[in-house]
Amino acid sequence: MRLVVTRRIKPLKFGGIIIPFLSIILGVFLATIALYALARVPPGLVYSSIGVSLVSPQMLQTFVMLVILGVALIIPFNAAIWNIGAEGQIIWGMIASAFIGLCIAVHYIYVSPSAAAQYSGVPGAFILPTPTATGKEVVAKLSMSPQAGVALMLILASLAGAMWALIASLMRAFLDIDEVATTLIMNYIAYYLYNYVVYGPLQGVTISTSGFGLSNPLHPALQFSRISVSTTATWEGVGIMIGVFIMAWFILRHTTFGLRLRILGSNPNALKAAGISVRKYIVAVLTISGAIAGLVGTIFFAGNMYQLMKIKTITTPPTHNIGYTAILVSWLSMLDLRGVPFAAYIVASLFQAGINLQASLGSISGGAMISSGALTYVLIGFVLTTFTILRVFSEYRIRIVRGRG
Amino acid sequence: MSAPEAASKPTPFSKEGQPPAKGEVTILVRNLVKRFPGVVALDHVKFDLRKGEVHALLGENGAGKTTFVKILYGVYVPDEGEIYVDGKRVTFTSPLDAIRHGISLVSQIPQIIGSLTIAENIILGLEKYGMMVKIRKVENFIREQSERIGIKIDPNTEVWKLSYTQKQLVELLRAVLLGAHVIMLDEAVTFLPIREKRKFYRFMRDFAKQGGSVILITHKIPEAMEAADRITVLRRGKYVGTVNAKEATLDLIRKMMFGARSSEITYKRLPSSKPDDKVVLEVKDLWVMGDYGAFAVKGVKLQVRAGEVLGIAGVAGNGQLELIQAIVGLRKVRKGKILIRTNGDLKDMTNKGVGHIRKLGVGYIPDEPLKYGVSVENNIEENLAMLPLIAKTVINWRKMRALAKKIIEEYKVVTPSSKTPVKLLSGGNIMKVLVSRELTVAKKMLVAYNPTRALDEVTAINVRKIIKDKVIKDRIAVIMASEDLDEIFQVSDTIAVMNSGRIVGVFPAEKADRDKIEKLMVM
Repeated sequence: MRLVVTRRIKPLKFGGIIIPFLSIILGVFLATIALYALARVPPGLVYSSIGVSLVSPQMLQTFVMLVILGVALIIPFNAAIWNIGAEGQIIWGMIASAFIGLCIAVHYIYVSPSAAAQYSGVPGAFILPTPTATGKEVVAKLSMSPQAGVALMLILASLAGAMWALIASLMRAFLDIDEVATTLIMNYIAYYLYNYVVYGPLQGVTISTSGFGLSNPLHPALQFSRISVSTTATWEGVGIMIGVFIMAWFILRHTTFGLRLRILGSNPNALKAAGISVRKYIVAVLTISGAIAGLVGTIFFAGNMYQLMKIKTITTPPTHNIGYTAILVSWLSMLDLRGVPFAAYIVASLFQAGINLQASLGSISGGAMISSGALTYVLIGFVLTTFTILRVFSEYRIRIVRGRG
Repeated sequence: MSAPEAASKPTPFSKEGQPPAKGEVTILVRNLVKRFPGVVALDHVKFDLRKGEVHALLGENGAGKTTFVKILYGVYVPDEGEIYVDGKRVTFTSPLDAIRHGISLVSQIPQIIGSLTIAENIILGLEKYGMMVKIRKVENFIREQSERIGIKIDPNTEVWKLSYTQKQLVELLRAVLLGAHVIMLDEAVTFLPIREKRKFYRFMRDFAKQGGSVILITHKIPEAMEAADRITVLRRGKYVGTVNAKEATLDLIRKMMFGARSSEITYKRLPSSKPDDKVVLEVKDLWVMGDYGAFAVKGVKLQVRAGEVLGIAGVAGNGQLELIQAIVGLRKVRKGKILIRTNGDLKDMTNKGVGHIRKLGVGYIPDEPLKYGVSVENNIEENLAMLPLIAKTVINWRKMRALAKKIIEEYKVVTPSSKTPVKLLSGGNIMKVLVSRELTVAKKMLVAYNPTRALDEVTAINVRKIIKDKVIKDRIAVIMASEDLDEIFQVSDTIAVMNSGRIVGVFPAEKADRDKIEKLMVM
């Protein structure tokens, strides 16, 4: 008797559904054991936090962004081009949105405190919370319709994300420099560039912002509208998510571009012989990915942040590292577009569960010992590890054979 | 089927698990079944290999030959059946198991690392299987053997510098060094010129004399009859019969392989397509670099007219590959011109790029179909839609399905559906998909290299007929390089002989003298 491991000709039927599902259950179970062993976190609390977060409206914003980013990453991943640079592309989206929202769509009027009162309640005018160092009040006035402003923010953010990805794509296509390294390294360049911007071109004009690494706040008319008071998710964000998803589905399933990018992942030589420029496809695939990631920058800026705020430590960027988390989403979806919403839902719930758990722990022991980030990553980490192991079963068959070999 | 069943008596085991006496059966296979999704690749196949024999395995495309040796090599695990090696029941789950039992496989594609030397490659191979050998010993072995066989190789050259023949020899020598007593050759010598092939066959004969056994897969029946002791034929996954090579005739084997369809086999020249005066392709003083920094095509001049099949005969490695690649735009032209008729005029297409040239209505059948022809992970419909000439920006999948169905029907492609990934089809069926796709887009010209290489006789002849019909019907121009002289004679209207990068003779096919052409090829 012995175990025989053979590769399946075809992956396990329904493996794409069963395996992620099973890994979540098993992963969460193992994570509770680990959390209990390491920090005496009561398992009941872990389960209840997860249970709550599965239906919590608070996770919606994370879900929206993870779906968009999951789609953004699945496009190059299908072509075996690895975009690890969503972080940097989001940052560029934020900077571009801030540039439009703070500099182009509005102009500022400096008035004496007494004259400021006449602007309160005037449509299109917004008095910044604090005055300038010289005591002047600052009134931001719209220079264009808010719809045009929002549209411009999205367009420029998308372009900025695309341009940032373009650099890495050109290096890959023409110099054959590995895009995994370049996209990753460029994230850190983007973080520092962001810090330069909040102290330079986009720094705020008022006493509380200028020199503190803060930009002006975004005009309320340009802010996205929240779905309800209990969530940070916005209607605009949901709209963009649906739009991006449908577009990606159409491209991947119904265009020669989508078909060829999938072939690029498995057999670039066949594409060449068919007369298709592989370089063009590498550039296009990464740029599209960057463009979608750039949109998430706007969702962050106009939906949650409203203001650029300097990055204090490189591990806590304003993106909350969601560009990396999205890699897990695309992986959990097994590079299948249909799997992205499910994977995003689960990862977003676990994210929220970490936050909830930390809050409950704080109320129990009177002082949280573990950060919500750590809790989140323990959960997600265990799920991913189980997933990686279980995936083997989708591709290999294990049976017991009698007799000796 | 009237084929004689096992011409001479193989030695069945009296009891299961009993080792055979010396000089008898070394591998015995019973009731072997292997199913792939939608296809039964092997259906209760039996087989026996004796010590000291060369045993040829024949069958048409998709008969299950490759699947069979892959099972013996541990690549696939059978669904049912028993395999005995020297009387012991075995279950191989990886090639490592097979190698431990002294069974080695040499396939069409050399599996050696280009940047290492031959000796390093072989040492690496041995270490992988847990054998420690001194490099000096390996070097000496290679020198001795290569000298004996008559294909000279220096064990200290890097592998990328070797010709295909030399690489295959390295593969074979590695198998011997691994201590194999059974070597399986899966079309491993198919691409070699006949003179080199004979050297390999002689080597196999010696190996068998010393007590080894060889399983030889080929689709050339005369070669099997010449090189093998016994011949086993498979058809559509079923065992047909085993005959002694000495007693076999070409007709008998063909009947066993193809059944009633064997009557379709003919090497008569196909009807001429009567070329007109319109030149479609003109190549002027073409110079193209090969992979190793030397010119592979040296001042080639040729013309192909509408309705003409130009066959380029030659021994592999004389610049045909580079010439073909330059014509479709896959290889840079250093000097000279390529002109293709576009809108009534011959236009300069030199170095315009493969995308540009293909858009003119040029079909291309490449030399390595799995690498350059199709994408094996994708299905037939997708492999059609990938060509710019077949699908525009937005794919009409209904149209693709209809086209795929048409091709499956017309070319008798054996596949569960048009949505089956191409990698699950047999080599011959993949080739059919490729050829039919390229004929669909060849509105003006077809450029081909060994278009029927992996195909069995019946299919190959049918493909040639289809190409010829297309030329007659649509008046396209065909330029086709082939290492198979029968093929050149069967389809060509004009035969050009290529040797050392030059065209050394051009003949109208009706008046071409085979002896003369063969002499020019090896001159």
